[in-house]
Amino acid sequence: MAGIPPAGRVLKPGRFHWLVGALVAAGAICVFFPFFWMAVTSLKTVPEIQRVPLQIAPDDWTNLANFREVFHRQPFGRFLLNSALVASVSALSSVVVSSLAGYGFAKFRFPGHGIFFFAIVGILMVPFQSVVVPLYLWVSRLDLLDTYLGILAPDLVSVFGVFLMRQSIEVVPTDYIDAARIDGAGEFGIFWRVILPSVKPALATLVIVKFMWTWNELFWPLVVINSPTMKVVTLGLVSFTNMYFIEYNLVTAAAVLSILPILIVFLVCQKWVVRGVVMSGLKG
Amino acid sequence: MRGGLVRATVVAAAALALAMTPVAVGAQAKKLVLWTHWEQNPEFNKYYETRGKDFAQKSGYEVQLVTVPYQGYEAKYLAALIGKSGAPDIFMGMTHHWCGQYDFCDRMPADLAKTWNENLPKYMASVGTWKGVRYGTPIEHGNFQQMYINADLFKKAGLDPDKPPKTLDEWLAAMKKLSVVDASGEVTQAGFALRHKGHPVGITDKFLPFAHAFGARMLSPNLDKATGFANSAEMVAALQFYTDLVQKHKVASLAFPSPEDAFGQKRAATIFRESWFFGWVKKNAPDVSFKVYALPCGKACPGAGNLFPWANMVAKSSPNKQAAWDFVRFISNPKDDLDQHQAQGILPVWTVNLDSAYVKGRPDYQSTQEMLRQPVPPEYYHPKSNELATAFGEAVVAALYGKGQPKPLLDEAAAKMDRILKD
Amino acid sequence: MGGPTSPPYPPRSERPGGPGRSSIFREPPREARGGSVSAIVSLFAPRSYMDRQRRAGLFFVLPALLYFSAVFLVPLVESVSGSFYRTVPGGTTQFVGWRLYEKVLTDPSFWQAVGNTVSLLLMSVPATVVLALTVALGLHRLRSLRWRSTWTAMYFLPFSVSLVAAALIWQWLYDPLYGLLNHLLRGVGLPPLKWLQSLDMVRPSLAIVNVWLRLGFDTIIFLAALQAIPGEYYEAASIDGASRWQALRRVTLPLLNPQIVMVTILELIFNFKVFDTVYATTQGGPAGASQTVIMLLYDTAFKYFRLGEASVMAVFVFVSLLLVTLVQWRVFRRQVEY
Repeated sequence: MAGIPPAGRVLKPGRFHWLVGALVAAGAICVFFPFFWMAVTSLKTVPEIQRVPLQIAPDDWTNLANFREVFHRQPFGRFLLNSALVASVSALSSVVVSSLAGYGFAKFRFPGHGIFFFAIVGILMVPFQSVVVPLYLWVSRLDLLDTYLGILAPDLVSVFGVFLMRQSIEVVPTDYIDAARIDGAGEFGIFWRVILPSVKPALATLVIVKFMWTWNELFWPLVVINSPTMKVVTLGLVSFTNMYFIEYNLVTAAAVLSILPILIVFLVCQKWVVRGVVMSGLKG
Repeated sequence: MRGGLVRATVVAAAALALAMTPVAVGAQAKKLVLWTHWEQNPEFNKYYETRGKDFAQKSGYEVQLVTVPYQGYEAKYLAALIGKSGAPDIFMGMTHHWCGQYDFCDRMPADLAKTWNENLPKYMASVGTWKGVRYGTPIEHGNFQQMYINADLFKKAGLDPDKPPKTLDEWLAAMKKLSVVDASGEVTQAGFALRHKGHPVGITDKFLPFAHAFGARMLSPNLDKATGFANSAEMVAALQFYTDLVQKHKVASLAFPSPEDAFGQKRAATIFRESWFFGWVKKNAPDVSFKVYALPCGKACPGAGNLFPWANMVAKSSPNKQAAWDFVRFISNPKDDLDQHQAQGILPVWTVNLDSAYVKGRPDYQSTQEMLRQPVPPEYYHPKSNELATAFGEAVVAALYGKGQPKPLLDEAAAKMDRILKD
Repeated sequence: MGGPTSPPYPPRSERPGGPGRSSIFREPPREARGGSVSAIVSLFAPRSYMDRQRRAGLFFVLPALLYFSAVFLVPLVESVSGSFYRTVPGGTTQFVGWRLYEKVLTDPSFWQAVGNTVSLLLMSVPATVVLALTVALGLHRLRSLRWRSTWTAMYFLPFSVSLVAAALIWQWLYDPLYGLLNHLLRGVGLPPLKWLQSLDMVRPSLAIVNVWLRLGFDTIIFLAALQAIPGEYYEAASIDGASRWQALRRVTLPLLNPQIVMVTILELIFNFKVFDTVYATTQGGPAGASQTVIMLLYDTAFKYFRLGEASVMAVFVFVSLLLVTLVQWRVFRRQVEY
């Protein structure tokens, strides 16, 4: 593992190499700190949270009362399952459709390809709040309220995915594709066997990003879900805030619970991304 | 290649079919769907389902509770009530929005309306009604503010916690004694926990007791005009008084966090909050010894006023309207009212229950009685109440932050409010 | 998965193709530009290899197009057409033509919200892009894969948390009384700041939260791109006697140009649409200093029940973002010479 020099190492390391490493590490710790804070707050009782002067460590590091309360108030386990299912389906379907579309936009010139691509990117520019009521009415007419498909409706394909896939597939050399065509491979076969393996890091990135994005969606699930057993994690989290006060102890506990599954997905996929990314740095 | 494509399609189709099946519905019992956004009142909400089971024995209809987050509830209600098919049967909200601005509510049957009209205290009388017609049943969540004081801080300042200030002048004098300002001019202990952050509607809500105490009102009695009321001389005086708390007398501070936290932290000696507050204090700041009193009066007494008249309404488009009203009738009695509100620790709404043992045992019993004896302050139940209160609140916040003087700010707000009313 | 795998395609230096390969939006080849009718006809009756090619391309793109049309097209059209109607008490709508546009576009609070949003943007977007680039460059230089993965994961973590939770955590950190930040300031003898409760500091404070949220995402994109730059470019540069800094400017940054443009566009779009974080913390306060366009849109639609005006604001957002993206594309896109 240590024997593969990344491309950046062709130049000799400068005098300030250690400084760069230290700054990066310091930045990472600063960025990470709010999470530490969140985790620590979830172990505190309510009076502890209110206490001044501030105390970082909880009185009792094994105080799991907040977590118990979160599960007691709402079927939070069910929420985690629902979120996992919805986010997984969304990530997978996004990867499939986005990579297909990315390939189409990157390597083919059909009439209207520029306009279609720009139109898709344009969807990102529309505030979701302004389409939520019409979209809800459609979903409601199709009887998809309170169903997984209803929750998934706006999340099955990702605009960012199409963008990313197009970028990534664009750099695959065209003559390689042409060579495969000459060899008699069908279009889909080329996609499956030539294109996809070349863009594995981008695919993994898309999976992670789309999974997280759908996992953390609040507004659409809020509007489309009624049944307590169909709710997702974000709804559970926000139920500990209302117009009068915020229950920080429960919100942080719920947030910790909601991050754990994502962390797992990230750690699994990330190995693939970073290593894969390093591998592709060997080009040339 | 083709095999792979076929396999992928089959898997996708299976997944799609799975995703489209709704969650298996349990019993075939008919259900009344009740929506509420008071997610932090689980005991109160559970009561509907518990009683719903009793109701089911007579009528065959169970009650299914759906909790909606407060943040975003308007969008959900609007979409569902427009869409009709996903709409609730009973929902909790403000009548002037859903029955006034829109036409989503079913009129309450006359006999039930009569029962409610006869049994509500006068400050609750118009909650759940629109233009004199009753559409819903009020729910109390501490709709009016009272004065909570920190008894220890009072004693330390040489004030008697059992003899609270009764007029605004007395109150201000007490605040001055209770505030501690350090060398650099920063307030380290505030007499009053002032609400200065958040949505302008909330700011208006907290300022109105002062406005009413000065004899001002935000809109004309017909709710059709703002100029001359929102910027009346009394209102300007009230806003000046409010602003002076922060800027001149330094008895309140804009650097403090939310007022509840400041009070719970013993950094503020008094706070004006609703009836749910002492439950919060007991849980979050158990070492604060507090007392509850009626709000101090000025030219007039603030009285039991509120900006948010929460009520349960029945949707006009509901196919189960009849059953819904039957359920409402089923729990429209003193016992249910008392039990439900007691379970959550909030004040009941039926007049007879205001003298029950439960209410008598609350720390705010005396103060509640005193405030209910005062005349009912102005109400602003108008379809555009959110927008009007926002415009007004923006003027209040701007004054607090020193972005202008009360009179010009209020003039501008009043003009804006009139434009809103005319539109 | 151990050891190097040979790349599935020949190295870049051997690839044909001229300048302009790195741009995001490429000009279509001449044959597709003119005679679009015949081009469409040729889709249905492919007469040549190229026609079959084009048809294949369309089929690849079709699932995505169908999905977006089905899900977003109709709601979009309904929303835009809604901008010409106003809701009257009672719930019915009445056609008013351009009146709502006039009303919104002459409303000072609308422009204040636009001003706040732009000011937030100007603080968040450059900071995010520059910091992400810096961090990616720093991570790229790390020798140890383990540390690189660890720090990358930590930078990426904020992306994993729900916006509401993040906003509430930061609100707590910013709390003037027992927030950690003021605690630290007091600890080193500095006066505490008002953060979210100060008219001047509220937008920078929110910008910091936005940067924190989006930094990791952009860093990962840049890191992936950096690691795709072949080493021979740096070899050539060092042979030519270029210093590190010159190598950065002449080799790295130009090759990263497509990602920089993409990231900047995405950051602009997401920061313009910022809603959840502001809604969960300041709700537009104090005194409207942090009210953004989308917040005003939300309030107009769902608190004031003025759906027509909200649609006007949505059209404004869309048009503004479209124009800005177009400008960015034209001005900042660079043709890369190999």
